[in-house]
Amino acid sequence: MRDELTIKSHAGYWLAALLLLAGLVVAGVGFATGDVFYLRLASEALIFGGLALSVDILLGYTGLLSLGQALHFGLGAYVSALALIATQSFWTAMGVALAAGVLGGLVGGFIANRVRGVYFALITFGMAQVSAKVVYNTRSLGASDGLIGVPVLDINFGFFSLSSASPTAFFLLALAILLLLYFLAAYLLDTPFGRLLIAVKANERRVPFLGYRTATLRLGSYVLAATIATLSGALYPMLRGFVSPELLFFSTSGNAVITVILGGAGTLVGALYGSVLLTVIKSVVGSWTEHHLIVIGLLFMVVVIFLPNGLMGLIQPGIRARLARGGRR
Amino acid sequence: MTAQRAPAGPILDVRDLSISFGGLKAVDGVSFNAERNRITTIIGPNGAGKSTLFNLISGALAPRRGRVLLEGRDTTGAAPHRLQAAGLARSFQITTLFFALSVAENLRLGAQTLEPAARLWLPVGSSVRARRRVDELLERFRLTDKADYPAGKLSHGEQRRLEIAVALAGAPRVLLLDEPTQGMSHGDTAETAELIRGLASDVTILLIEHDIGLVMTLSDHVIVMHQGRKIAEGMPEAVRADPAVQAAYFGHV
Ligand SMILES: Nc1ncnc2c1ncn2[C@@H]1O[C@H](COP(=O)(O)OP(=O)(O)OP(=O)(O)O)[C@@H](O)[C@H]1O
Ligand SMILES: [Mg+2]
Repeated sequence: MRDELTIKSHAGYWLAALLLLAGLVVAGVGFATGDVFYLRLASEALIFGGLALSVDILLGYTGLLSLGQALHFGLGAYVSALALIATQSFWTAMGVALAAGVLGGLVGGFIANRVRGVYFALITFGMAQVSAKVVYNTRSLGASDGLIGVPVLDINFGFFSLSSASPTAFFLLALAILLLLYFLAAYLLDTPFGRLLIAVKANERRVPFLGYRTATLRLGSYVLAATIATLSGALYPMLRGFVSPELLFFSTSGNAVITVILGGAGTLVGALYGSVLLTVIKSVVGSWTEHHLIVIGLLFMVVVIFLPNGLMGLIQPGIRARLARGGRR
Repeated sequence: MTAQRAPAGPILDVRDLSISFGGLKAVDGVSFNAERNRITTIIGPNGAGKSTLFNLISGALAPRRGRVLLEGRDTTGAAPHRLQAAGLARSFQITTLFFALSVAENLRLGAQTLEPAARLWLPVGSSVRARRRVDELLERFRLTDKADYPAGKLSHGEQRRLEIAVALAGAPRVLLLDEPTQGMSHGDTAETAELIRGLASDVTILLIEHDIGLVMTLSDHVIVMHQGRKIAEGMPEAVRADPAVQAAYFGHV
């Protein structure tokens, strides 16, 4: 028997492999030409792709619209910046971010999952706004200026090390980490646990009668998403050398939702593609006009109306059909 | 699997169960027993409180008063997922499926609890026992051809069959079926009745049914509800002949 959802998941793996290939080409060309700007931009696209990935776990799989996912992304950025300033260690920063991701996910998920639907969206929005205001007004976190002076890192992998100052090296690192996070999410979402999240989205009312507690499932989904957002955010200060309260603002959360819709909700890999697409649009259109937000807004509307499955809705069905044909016994 | 470790006596023991909505006593002091591997049918006019009684037994609602004992264990007010683990499952009067998901996936979700909990974290394909259960149910409920269809694309009759099959997938010992044949054609109804009859060899069934012909042929035991109360119970023929039952149905108080 062919399992449609597994096929969909495998189609995603192929698209992720394609992204890896494209990334290696970009890295090669960037390295050869000594480019800094585009490699930094591409690294940023990947990092915000991680945030979008986390939004898709909630929205596309569990059916929860978070309008405050920047909270976890920003949390990752700030704890990472603090850890880096204190210890200059990449691994410490990532370890701290992992802990902050799980903990923040448990707390945020516990609060947000007390309500459903539009109230969930509002509460996630509220949590992020409150946190942003707190950070904005906290002197020890740099208040409105943010934290500056995040050091350049030598990231030690045992048998080799790379410097965060090298655009190519850092881009490759970001690519590796984001693809790892993607594979982790894609793996988990194709387990029975992941299928139960999909079941919650499809018809939450029936799930308890299958023998599973929906509150636990929604919390699990939230923690997974928050952890991915936090770990992605942790890379941000390594790239930019600073963090600022804007990372927690609604514009960051809202952008992530737009990214998911553009890329295709419920596909995971679409979040990464969507982020690349959005970054390209922003920089290309941004070089013509100040009003690139108008263009993005219009594009968003067009996609919502004509391409309900986003960019992936255009390309994934072909790959899926191939896999289905190949996989049929 | 486990030998008959369960105590003798009724598998389900309902005592004085009650709930009201505002001033309406939807279920009012209902007590009854269900015997193992029998079909106990609950009948009564619209609004009698039959579905509400199911909601109370299956954990969808907590009773205001009364007790439910499942295999001798007190399960009053337990959450649905706990009752599922205790061996009780239900289907719904209004079809409640995962309409966007395939028929096979609906069943697989229902069968997942047959696997050890650790399998939750392994790829779906490795849940072999659940798969086997899905195939078996597809066959039994004549849905094999439709296995890859989204549940939402099935005909009404097929959806009603799947509704039962999903409830059955986790291999419950007590199965509550709320009007399983509702809206079905005559042919489908007869076939579904046959299916239900077949299930009773290893599952205790509580059935809500309006089709009186079906009630007479399927039931081992009939309970009649009216305005939240149990007004009669007994063998099907005896219940049908009961004047109080006829009064409830034909409206003479
Ligand atoms: N959640 C609820 N809130 C308020 N009233 C309810 C609720 N559930 C049921 N009722 C009321 O309780 C009474 C019994 O309803 P129930 O659905 O149990 O009847 P039923 O016997 O299943 O009827 P039918 O044969 O039409 O399915 C009805 O008057 C109904 O309107
Ligand atoms: Mg009813």
